[in-house]
Amino acid sequence: MLFENNDYDFDILSLAGLNFNRPQNNYYEYDNTNPLVDPQEGFQRGNMWRNEYVPYRGMTYEKLNPTSERESLLFKIMEMDFAVNDLNLYLDLHPEDNMIYEKFKAYTKECIRLKDEYARTYGPLTLEQTNKNSYEWMKNPWPWDKSGGSMYV
Amino acid sequence: MFKYMKTLNYPVNIKKRDLKMAKYLHTQFGGSNSELAAALRYFSQKFSMPDEKGKALLNDIATEELGHVEMIATMIKQLTEGASVEEMASAGLGDMYSEHGLGVYPSNASGVPFTTGYFAVTGDVLADISEDMAAEEKARAVYENLIELATDKDVIGPLLFLRQREIIHFNRFKELYKYYKKKGY
Repeated sequence: MLFENNDYDFDILSLAGLNFNRPQNNYYEYDNTNPLVDPQEGFQRGNMWRNEYVPYRGMTYEKLNPTSERESLLFKIMEMDFAVNDLNLYLDLHPEDNMIYEKFKAYTKECIRLKDEYARTYGPLTLEQTNKNSYEWMKNPWPWDKSGGSMYV
Repeated sequence: MFKYMKTLNYPVNIKKRDLKMAKYLHTQFGGSNSELAAALRYFSQKFSMPDEKGKALLNDIATEELGHVEMIATMIKQLTEGASVEEMASAGLGDMYSEHGLGVYPSNASGVPFTTGYFAVTGDVLADISEDMAAEEKARAVYENLIELATDKDVIGPLLFLRQREIIHFNRFKELYKYYKKKGY
């Protein structure tokens, strides 16, 4: 049976008779000196971890090309926010990994800096950043809008 | 609690209307392996996680999944924006239009409304986390099916991103499963 005899080391894909040529997903064995790709690359891939990236049938990820300075700054924020989130999930299980925690702190700091710059120049991304003379939080465009300046905010 | 940030998790900027693709994408909004099922599954299961690692991981993945729900709904909205009734009907979306107009409603691709019956909360840590691992693999498979159905790179880009997140989440859940198994649960 699947879960008997302390059989916790099973590979769900091999049980199903499938082999996607996945890399070993054992975090204790990652390249200690360079386990992460940079936030821009990681964001476009959807994956910060060098040894966990599994492309689909050799398809490459989409390269993001910002069309304005506003969009360029927004993409940088989204990249940093993504990097913080992906390290966050890892650190939930490995709070003792100081090297990754240092990276996490650096990305978080940069993320806050970029968000402040965005809020000063273009408008608030969070409710707390809404502090100009007029109330800007509810202004278009919202992230799901297709029109109105930058497509994403 | 939750606070909103006024961005998507990953950019969605679809310029070309594609009603059939919008219909297919509903499976990841309100279908059995959907982002909504994932978000509610982990959100609900977090209340019975026995220690810090489980509480933190389920909480944080649930939060990320809610951002993915928003991405999928945004894709559906942008793919259907400005469509006429005739176009909706001829793309097989007449049934959906009759109840929802051009609104975005959490159903599967056939229009069946979302139900929490798509996931379980057993209160058993190993049972719940095994389901989470399976859920991530099923969602990965669905994204691969959707990528095969898609023709527009503006649609394929976000789908590739979301597929990759399923792989990461599977890896994290698998590690959490091993950790609890070793602890004797």
